[in-house]
Amino acid sequence: MNFLIFKKLTQFSLLLLILSAFSALTCQVALADGVVVDKVYHPYVLPNEQEFEWRMLSHQNDAGNSLGQRIAYGKSITDNVMIEFYIVGERDRDGDFGLSAYEVETRWMMTDQGEYWADWGLLLEVEKVHELNVWEVTTGLLFEKEFGRDSLALNAFLIYESGSDIKNEFETEFRLQYRYRWLPQVQPAIEIYIGQDYTGIGPTFMGIQRFDGQKQLKWELGFITGLNGDDKDHILRAAIEYEF
Amino acid sequence: MSLFSVKPMQSIIVFLALLSFASLANRPEFEVELKNHLFYPAEIEIPANTKVKLVIYNRDTTPEEFDSFDLNREKVIFPQKKSVIFIGPLPPGHYKFFGEFNPNSAQGTIIVVPKKSATDANIETLALAYTAPLAANSLLFKEVLHVN
Repeated sequence: MNFLIFKKLTQFSLLLLILSAFSALTCQVALADGVVVDKVYHPYVLPNEQEFEWRMLSHQNDAGNSLGQRIAYGKSITDNVMIEFYIVGERDRDGDFGLSAYEVETRWMMTDQGEYWADWGLLLEVEKVHELNVWEVTTGLLFEKEFGRDSLALNAFLIYESGSDIKNEFETEFRLQYRYRWLPQVQPAIEIYIGQDYTGIGPTFMGIQRFDGQKQLKWELGFITGLNGDDKDHILRAAIEYEF
Repeated sequence: MSLFSVKPMQSIIVFLALLSFASLANRPEFEVELKNHLFYPAEIEIPANTKVKLVIYNRDTTPEEFDSFDLNREKVIFPQKKSVIFIGPLPPGHYKFFGEFNPNSAQGTIIVVPKKSATDANIETLALAYTAPLAANSLLFKEVLHVN
């Protein structure tokens, strides 16, 4: 019993510490200036889980069209911690598609699903840009709350960019997803992404198809429109995740 | 986005964090056993609009994964171990669940019943005295009375 109280107090203190640091920093830093649209994370991890993931992002604005893709392998290393390795590829200005970055990401499910009023998780991500001395460290809070058949997920990220090929700076990002759990295979949602010089909103559809045992296929498809005044600013994002 | 819009964002996060950890009250607890890839009982009545704790004991020698789209829950239950799943608060209705590793046999339903009827002491007395099946569900009445 005492251990449980201690555990809860530790979690709470840690959370407050992170929030304090986050609050202090966001007053003095810029919001993220890269492409903010990616994926809204959920704070859940299942033990014994492995996954392969593919994500695609096509961005079309007045400057032209850019394409980014990433493939990943992830595995839960404890009951509530998952680690995922990414290889990121982008199409450059000459139209050539090639390796652009590598990334390692850890997600920690801080609270059991449904245990409290809302569910919480933490994310830590380290990214290295290929052939450049550019590092990006991201820490983030993952939040999810159920309202009947609806789910609200929020992500708040603090990013530190550093290296000799980039100006060292802190940035922040905010992502929101409001989802209606209509059918397992089809769940419509609205997503909002906010970063420096970018605010985007749009519909997303996602779903899950279960197979034998822990095998399941998750999919996401979203169309995000930028609200920054450009004549044309659209992002098409897609993701497929195979869990086993 | 300007700093004016960052400030409300911080406030919202802090508010949600405090709210999340505020409700640490005891919750009604229900127990389920998983034996030979079957849930016992397969139907569990819980009170409406109340968060409950479902403790599942896996008596089998293989792992199972509790899965329910209706309840929006997914949890691995290791062999010879117990696992806790928090459910609700839910409106009255039937909510199906199953075991992902044995979906044909490991199936069950959470039946959410109106809280008002469950808290009626007369119903509890009648159930215990005259009706065996209802008497089996007296745990529900006791849990609800305890909460209230």
